[in-house]
Amino acid sequence: MSLLVEFLLIFSLILGAYFSFLAIKSRDLVKAIVFSAGQSSAFALAFFLLMAPDVVLAYLAVAVGIYTIVLLYAVKKTERFEEDE
Amino acid sequence: MSLKDAVLGVAMAVFLLMVSVVVVLGGTGWTPSTEIRPLAKFYLENCFNVFNRTWWAASPEAVTSMLWDYRGIDTYYETSVFFLAVIGGVTIFRVTEAKLHRKMDDVGLSLIVKTTTRMVFPLVVIVSASVALHGNLTPGGGFQAGVILAVGPLLLIAAFSRSFLEENLKLSKDRCLIIRSVGLIAIALLVALPLMAGSLSLMQNQAKPWSQALQLPEAVGPIWTSGTLLFFNVAEFLAVGAGFTLLFLLLSAPEEELKRAIGL
Amino acid sequence: MTIESFLQICGYLVLAAIMAISLYGIVKGRSLIKKLIALTILGDAANALIVYIGFRFGAKYPPVLPSLTPAPEDISWFVSVAVDPVPQCLVITAIVINMAITMFLVFTVIQVYRIYGTTMVKKISRLRG
Repeated sequence: MSLLVEFLLIFSLILGAYFSFLAIKSRDLVKAIVFSAGQSSAFALAFFLLMAPDVVLAYLAVAVGIYTIVLLYAVKKTERFEEDE
Repeated sequence: MSLKDAVLGVAMAVFLLMVSVVVVLGGTGWTPSTEIRPLAKFYLENCFNVFNRTWWAASPEAVTSMLWDYRGIDTYYETSVFFLAVIGGVTIFRVTEAKLHRKMDDVGLSLIVKTTTRMVFPLVVIVSASVALHGNLTPGGGFQAGVILAVGPLLLIAAFSRSFLEENLKLSKDRCLIIRSVGLIAIALLVALPLMAGSLSLMQNQAKPWSQALQLPEAVGPIWTSGTLLFFNVAEFLAVGAGFTLLFLLLSAPEEELKRAIGL
Repeated sequence: MTIESFLQICGYLVLAAIMAISLYGIVKGRSLIKKLIALTILGDAANALIVYIGFRFGAKYPPVLPSLTPAPEDISWFVSVAVDPVPQCLVITAIVINMAITMFLVFTVIQVYRIYGTTMVKKISRLRG
């Protein structure tokens, strides 16, 4: 495995960590869902670099497409902001 | 963020680090291996070994041949977990179709989005069908194709409306249940087929030394079907796609109607 | 220690950090939907960790034989360059089942909001009757 691919792998994982930190931190649930979709795209890149084409096919459709829309529906049906105690 | 929160976060990080160290040391050693493991070597050597057909799965795709042949029982029980999750969701939203009137003022998104969705939707369906039908030859398979298929109705629901799906595509909740049940029954039949034919094992794909009773051909003319793998892939494709479409139909029902129907 | 093995260990550390962040979100999240988002992130990180542990560094090919009429040399070449297919097989089913479980939890959260009128955990715990 070339060094470039390994750097790309670490870069995508760190990008995923940053997006997941933003998703947990934000109080606006819509923003959190969009950051979670960004984390999913970074992980899809990582799965691609780990040579798992089957996993990428399933993961892109599930995590970037379906999770985002379903959670947005859930936010639309309930409430958008996390309140302070 | 208070001190308590910070301590909690650090404690969790340390705990998870310890768990992953244990897993890593038990599995591979400090750095990931560059050698192939014996189990993976067996699968890679035997999945399409046309010269020694004792253990072969008749599919050049190692992942699909493991999913539905070597480790088939595992996938079968995963499918049953999926069945239970879908049934649980339907049970929470238990309403009959007659109680859910469609709302006439539900007009959907703008014209640009609608035109684009009209163009994209057939592509999604075609891509998912090709992923399912080529699942035993190229990357892909029933699960992947099913979730790609589920994106299509979700796009239609978001861009047009729920009633568009029910009126124009005739894809109501009951029909989705029927399609999904057909897929699951097909999987159960395919699992039990070798047993009924007099063999000793469930989910037998190709003939084994101790049971020669049933052997589906690996190719029908020019079409490579890989024994039971193609049929398993198509059945799982229908089950997963229709199951998720059913959940989306329930999720997108208007809230007031649902509340009235449930009786809150 | 070469730079390759250093980067490989860094991968484990980053994945452990993502799991720690998402566990924090599950425990300290105020809204049930926030907990759900953290749960999906935890599931993704666990799946990525499985594939990462099972990955064969130095492999050049996904586990798909590119020919329908292979020679014996083709099969031995395939075994020498392909990645380990076992973790990928386990992860594919795990992703789809995770999604089914998440859909079920979304339905449950919506039902909770219908009955109690809120998704904040503290408010739900203060409700009586």
